[in-house]
Amino acid sequence: MIRCDQLSKRYPMGSGHKQVFNNLDLRICPGEHVGLLGRNGAGKTTLIKLIGGVEMPTSGRIRRDMSVSWPLGFGGGFQGSLTGYDNARFIARIYGREYEDIRDFVEDFTELGPQLKMPVKTYSSGMKARLAFALSLTIEFDCYLIDEVIMVGDADFHRKCHYELFEKRGDRALILASHSPDLIREFCDRAMVLHEGQGRMYSDVNEALEIYSAL
Amino acid sequence: MASFAAAWRIQRRVISALMIRELVTRFGRENIGFLWMMVEPLLFAGLVGITWRYMRGPEEHGVSIVAFVASGYIPLTLFRHAIIRCTRVFSVNGSLLYHRQIKVLDFIFVRFLIEVVGSMMAFVFIGALLFALNEFPIPADLGAVLEGWVIYCMFTFSLCLVLAPLSEMSEVLEKLMPVTLYIMIPFSGTFTMVSWLTPAVQNFMLYSPFVSPMELIRYGLFGDRVHAIWDLTVPIGTTIVFTLIGLTLCRRVRRMLVVE
Repeated sequence: MIRCDQLSKRYPMGSGHKQVFNNLDLRICPGEHVGLLGRNGAGKTTLIKLIGGVEMPTSGRIRRDMSVSWPLGFGGGFQGSLTGYDNARFIARIYGREYEDIRDFVEDFTELGPQLKMPVKTYSSGMKARLAFALSLTIEFDCYLIDEVIMVGDADFHRKCHYELFEKRGDRALILASHSPDLIREFCDRAMVLHEGQGRMYSDVNEALEIYSAL
Repeated sequence: MASFAAAWRIQRRVISALMIRELVTRFGRENIGFLWMMVEPLLFAGLVGITWRYMRGPEEHGVSIVAFVASGYIPLTLFRHAIIRCTRVFSVNGSLLYHRQIKVLDFIFVRFLIEVVGSMMAFVFIGALLFALNEFPIPADLGAVLEGWVIYCMFTFSLCLVLAPLSEMSEVLEKLMPVTLYIMIPFSGTFTMVSWLTPAVQNFMLYSPFVSPMELIRYGLFGDRVHAIWDLTVPIGTTIVFTLIGLTLCRRVRRMLVVE
């Protein structure tokens, strides 16, 4: 389970600060699929970063009793100046996996071919998304954190993600930040709407989507 | 104990992965690859030594001037590089924080370690080369050289622990760094022995944390041919104080760090 208690996050802004959210509570049980809804800047990505441990909350605490992936979005998690293969090596080293296994999966999943020998900064965003997804799927996590921006790929990529994430790993927990009603409705058991620093959880996804579209 | 062993394994994994990554991004895999890390201290020590040799003659105060300059310049380049490499290291490496097993202290440690290994390789290399040319002594007391070196390194690291988080908090620090690194050279013990100075200046110099370890290194190399004076309370004391302040600052800055 992941338990977030009384989370608050503030960023300095000019001479004052911006309160992204205040006293937010969230529980995620194993296997649960939770959607995060909110307008641009409402704090979806920030919340995912806090749960992933990339940034620290200003106050409150997060307890993780299951393994949590790094947030899947653009950029984060890899090194632009290194090649795709070097990034795979790095992931293999820090997570203590066999590089050969990771390489084979990455080659197969990304279909990037010789491009994997090029620095990641030369990739298009769709290519980056493929690599980021492939790398995180090579490490088995109990909970995946996914920012919708990464869903930029083509139809083939969508089909692969769908299979790897929702079919093969359907028993894992998932937190999905998204603007797409279809995605949330299809894959989430519950959804949280973030608005004006508050987060409200709805066990009925359709209700959450209605509230969200009325914002 | 099991959890400690597991934590130790992860720590070793992370440090070695970060080392390899840093070496590949900085030096690449072309030509001599990671051996580049010793080239810069080597060139500094060698070229400055040769320049001095022709400006001031073969010996000064009874020791080979090339050996004297080289033995001073290698610690100095270690210090300067370690300090420069640790500024803004948190933001530069921010994307690595996506992996929770990597901590900000690892960034500082890895960059420091690369400088230490590079300088030590350069030290051994230039020592052997100069020895072959009859310009470098067999260390009179290798233990003293190592002791001085370790204390010098630890002081440098403790200062990195303070400066790395401070450079994230204020941009002024980064701007003041080059001039400070230049101004400190006369107080670093690189080009002078304490015993060459007047008594009043001697006392003052021993308050500089670099001077005593530097004297110790010189004593270990040249033995009784130099008159070395040292007092390790200052370097060890400042190292402890800086480490405590640095660790506190790192923790605070990590909480505020914004990662793209």
